[in-house]
Amino acid sequence: MTSNTNYIRFRLFHRFCHFLIIISFFGLVLTGMPLAFRGYGWARWLYELFGGYPTAGYIHRVCALITFFAAFIHFIYLFYSISVQKKKGFFWGPNSLLIQPRDVFDIIGDIKWFMGIGKRPNFDCWIYWEKFEYLSLMWGTLVMALTGLILWFPVQFTKIIPVSVADIIDLPSIALIIHRYEAILAAGFIFTIHFFHTHLLPEKMPVDEAIFTGRITEEEFKHERLNQYKRLEHQRQLDNYKIAPPSLFVSFLTRLFAVPILITGLIMVGLMFSALLVWAI
Amino acid sequence: MVYKPIKSLIKVVLSGVKRLELLAFLTTCVTVIILSPAMLFAGDNGPCIECHTKPDKLKVTEKAKIDPVTGEIKVSPMLIDEAAFKASAHGGEDFFCVDCHQDLDGKDVTEGHKPNLKPVDCITFCHDDPAEEYLQSTHVKLMRENNKDVPTCKDCHAGLSYHYTPIGEKSPRDVPRGTDPLHRKLTIDACGSCHRDYLNSYKNNAHGQVATLGHTTTDVPVCFDCHGKHKILNSSDPESKVGKERIIETCGNCHANANASFIRHVEHPQIKNIKYYRTLLAAIKNARSDPGNLKKAIKNPQTILCIVFVMYVGILAFTFSAFGLHSLLSWFAVVRDEYRRKEHGDDEQH
Repeated sequence: MTSNTNYIRFRLFHRFCHFLIIISFFGLVLTGMPLAFRGYGWARWLYELFGGYPTAGYIHRVCALITFFAAFIHFIYLFYSISVQKKKGFFWGPNSLLIQPRDVFDIIGDIKWFMGIGKRPNFDCWIYWEKFEYLSLMWGTLVMALTGLILWFPVQFTKIIPVSVADIIDLPSIALIIHRYEAILAAGFIFTIHFFHTHLLPEKMPVDEAIFTGRITEEEFKHERLNQYKRLEHQRQLDNYKIAPPSLFVSFLTRLFAVPILITGLIMVGLMFSALLVWAI
Repeated sequence: MVYKPIKSLIKVVLSGVKRLELLAFLTTCVTVIILSPAMLFAGDNGPCIECHTKPDKLKVTEKAKIDPVTGEIKVSPMLIDEAAFKASAHGGEDFFCVDCHQDLDGKDVTEGHKPNLKPVDCITFCHDDPAEEYLQSTHVKLMRENNKDVPTCKDCHAGLSYHYTPIGEKSPRDVPRGTDPLHRKLTIDACGSCHRDYLNSYKNNAHGQVATLGHTTTDVPVCFDCHGKHKILNSSDPESKVGKERIIETCGNCHANANASFIRHVEHPQIKNIKYYRTLLAAIKNARSDPGNLKKAIKNPQTILCIVFVMYVGILAFTFSAFGLHSLLSWFAVVRDEYRRKEHGDDEQH
């Protein structure tokens, strides 16, 4: 029954962006998280592993620059697609990553499914939690970049606010608190919610290769995004998406890269959570 | 460092002139120099090192000492690690054992010396400046005015001359240099042993988080980099290093071009201090009877920090409980569907 037909889901550009984000995100988390959990032995060990002060800080800044670059090329891509190529559907419709009215129905449908009083809803190109992840990545990057820059150049940033305001609003301190807790939010979110919703589902374990190889099988397509499949079939565009299955070598490389990364993330979130337990007890 | 023992010698010589005993003094000196082999090594650690590095040459290799602060009895070895001594703040080229152990100055020690030397006087000839500065500090002011129990020299310095070298503990002979990272780290604990709230809030700021991870090189400010070493003054004092007039200079030591807005920075955020939240709540409670206090609390930069902190704790708690539940439920539902499909499939086969 298993057909060998594969469909393209992520083009090379998006795979490259995801790769850049992985590299920079892990660099940022591994060099930054010790500061947030400074009281724990593992934090000290991890900080030393990355060279301690100031080396770990330099790695952190380099990774931040990689993140800026990824965000920059992403927005260039969006700008180019919308205003030059005049592609449609970025802001509205089934291909949009912005929240649509049907997402509300999808959430209700999902809750019904969880409770066993309904079938699993059929999704289109982007499921509501994928949209949420994308949008929170955008928002999180913006917040982290802004607060990170304030912490990087505190003197220059405080220069632009008048003294009377600085008396009440202490920009670097606020930036530090936001940077620290937004980081815990982001790292915790990626290492639990993103991992468990995307890669570590019982049907995907250990890794959803689509973001690395760019391809999904027909079965996966129909199972996860039936509405998109039907829509493309109806529009007679399905053939445009057909592609050869990934080679064994690429599949192997994907696992070789992704599995250690996933394990690292899980260990990190385990340590972070253990810190919460230690604090609570 | 001014070499004060020489000065004192000159004083003695000059007083000799006054009393017309110069001749007698010089004769004594010449006699001593000629007769005493130890004086041939004057300004040389040779005779001391000769025995104090070799356990078999010492009559006593360990001595009991009473800690001036805690009163504990500590065993202090009489052996000296020359390399560690040389690396210490007192290990300079022109610094010798007898400069501190002055009762042995000029004595012939080839046959040993008396067992109990006089306690070393650090202040009179060498460290008189810090002592004078200390007497002007807020610590001493509190002691004089309110009879407060404040730290005196040995509370900090006896504790801080800890030895991480093999020679032993609590002896100034290998007191670390001021730039030594471990020494700097120990000062944080020393200040923090009394100023606990300030230590905790320091650990929450950008400087303290790096120090807490164990990095206390001169690039990472510890307490005394901002507050001063001996002449520590309350921040309300304009002369204080963190007071209104000097803080730009203090911050500017590291942050070039520190400006008037920059120095408004809150170095001790109260975000994790329950006491601050209590004062905030009290200010809100008494808003009608005392609106001025509430206004003051709102204008305090700490308040915004606390609000941001509480907000983020809320966001974290909500996000992880909501999405954690979502993850669990979707896992459960996927497994349930799989199970039902199998059962259904089995039914079809039968």
